[in-house]
Amino acid sequence: MSDVERRPPVTVKDLSREAEPLSPLDLDRLLPLPPPYDKVPPESLWKEMSDERKAQVDASLDGISALNLKRPADPAEEERLVEALKAGLGKLLSADDNWGFLQPLALTLDHCTHCQTCADACPIFEASGRAEIYRPTYRADVLRRLVARYGPGANLLKRALAGSLELNFTTLARLAELAHRCTLCRRCTQACPIGVDNGLITHELRKLFSQELGISAQEAHGSGSVLQLSVGSSTGMTPAILKDNVEFIDDEMSEKVGYAVKTPWDVEGADVLLMHNAGEILAWPENPGAFAVIMQAAGISWTLSSELLAYDAINYGLWYDDVQFSRVALKHAEVARKLKVKKIVIGECGHAHKALTVVADRLLGGDLAVPRESFAPFLASIVESGALKLDPSRNDFPVTLHDPCNLARALGIVEPPRRILRKIAPRFREMTPHGVENFCCGGGSGFAIMSGNNFESFRNLVSGRAKLKQVLDAFAGELGPEVPKYVCTPCSNCKGQFRDLFRAYGVWDTSRILYGGLVELIVNAMADVKPGFIEWEFH
Amino acid sequence: MLTFKHGTIEIVVDEDGFMQEPEKWNEDVAKALATTEGVEELTPDHWKLVHYLRNYFLQFGVAPMIRKLCKETGFDLKKVYALFPSGPAKGACKVAGLAKPTGCV
Repeated sequence: MSDVERRPPVTVKDLSREAEPLSPLDLDRLLPLPPPYDKVPPESLWKEMSDERKAQVDASLDGISALNLKRPADPAEEERLVEALKAGLGKLLSADDNWGFLQPLALTLDHCTHCQTCADACPIFEASGRAEIYRPTYRADVLRRLVARYGPGANLLKRALAGSLELNFTTLARLAELAHRCTLCRRCTQACPIGVDNGLITHELRKLFSQELGISAQEAHGSGSVLQLSVGSSTGMTPAILKDNVEFIDDEMSEKVGYAVKTPWDVEGADVLLMHNAGEILAWPENPGAFAVIMQAAGISWTLSSELLAYDAINYGLWYDDVQFSRVALKHAEVARKLKVKKIVIGECGHAHKALTVVADRLLGGDLAVPRESFAPFLASIVESGALKLDPSRNDFPVTLHDPCNLARALGIVEPPRRILRKIAPRFREMTPHGVENFCCGGGSGFAIMSGNNFESFRNLVSGRAKLKQVLDAFAGELGPEVPKYVCTPCSNCKGQFRDLFRAYGVWDTSRILYGGLVELIVNAMADVKPGFIEWEFH
Repeated sequence: MLTFKHGTIEIVVDEDGFMQEPEKWNEDVAKALATTEGVEELTPDHWKLVHYLRNYFLQFGVAPMIRKLCKETGFDLKKVYALFPSGPAKGACKVAGLAKPTGCV
């Protein structure tokens, strides 16, 4: 879409302007989808917040509320929030308070040339019809102006150069929401020719709001990391419920594959401690089940842990709070050391990968001292070793691969899943673009578990739109329901997003596209198990 | 928090319509909540599902695995969706008065 057609742009200064809402979604300008999905009216997927709800929470950015932010009861409360934000700016830019991220943050704030390469790379900006507020540099410029005015070393010259922006509750609330219109996919960061990290800006803003103002998404914090730290898992599963559920999965797997499958628990000195996203156990049990089948068949010395936190690899702090993040990461490493395993293998969860490897190392360094490996290279070695007897003809259906951002872009894990797919999926085809240039599913950074108020409308209409188009394009010419098709999606968070997206657009009924993990495809091709491991039923 | 009213029923729900005080659930509440899910009449099959969820929740404090629910009730997923169009988590759990599921489910 050319700049000429764009609506009158909202400026950074407008963020503090009273308008309700500042920039509503323009449903006529959304990225077009291929037929027959061009016939799905966007209006049918848009949920307007009720008047009662609008009166309770702030939705003044775009008519959407991710955070359930209540307006301050009196001027004193507004003042308190504004002052906390100002103080937080100083902490973000202090080496003592933000040792992990100060350097890339300072470089980003200082060096952006506004070339807009990042804007072209952002799937949310593009899918929204290039709405100004979602432009990666818009969010960064807001922070830049606040820093110039209220940050350390603020002076008149800096203010004049950065431009003005009034800081009131409206600005603050919209900025907090704006930090939740980016999935942290960091496609913008990768595209930047000089290494500016606009994805980090989102992360730092969320951190500022959470650590200094107590503002965060309920799904990530209250019923996320807080629950995980108290009960053991963000799903609410205690060790007893967990074991009962996995026993059920073992029974199901044994029935499905035709021989006994048994998950080992808390085996001291095992080679591998496998850590799943616990959501898999409840919502996609065939995934941890398929892992067990493979580990057993390949003769791996492995174990699951029933210690609190260790049976849930998720670490939601990654998205919004370094303190919560560190609490969980340290516990993960501690359990592995206590069990004396040789390494942790992280299951099909993208955020767990980024959390327990790159970010944990950045923030905690030597405190972790336990080797950690992704399931993808781990399984690629198993598949290529010949330890599993494989019959790829069992996967005789079109398959494409969704690269989870945190595997591909954050960790560079691009080839390992493909090495596996080449051995087991004869009708594999790539999406365009793919690998490190792949589009986010639209559920990254916690979005997939956020559906309060009308947030799911944003996911289905905007943040997941580029992905949906990509999947449909990968199966062009075969979009009818006659041919069953599989999007291999080796990440729980992405699966949650695909489920909601496919349901919203009726993709299963219209096109018979199933989403699922990589291990399910492997087991489906194992010659020694009963045929038909993958069940062609939408769930 | 929002107030949901239906006939003589008045309960507190979250922004997705899940009960905030699950202990106040009873069959009349279930009937009222079902109307928000496009279910006008709760048939014996609906009740079978709702009671299974309710009992599991009272025993364990969380929702059951979806596979377990299917196995224990004898309903396949298609049937569950036919009964509650928003599905087991967002539809059936809501009517059974469970809190909104948490985590990556």
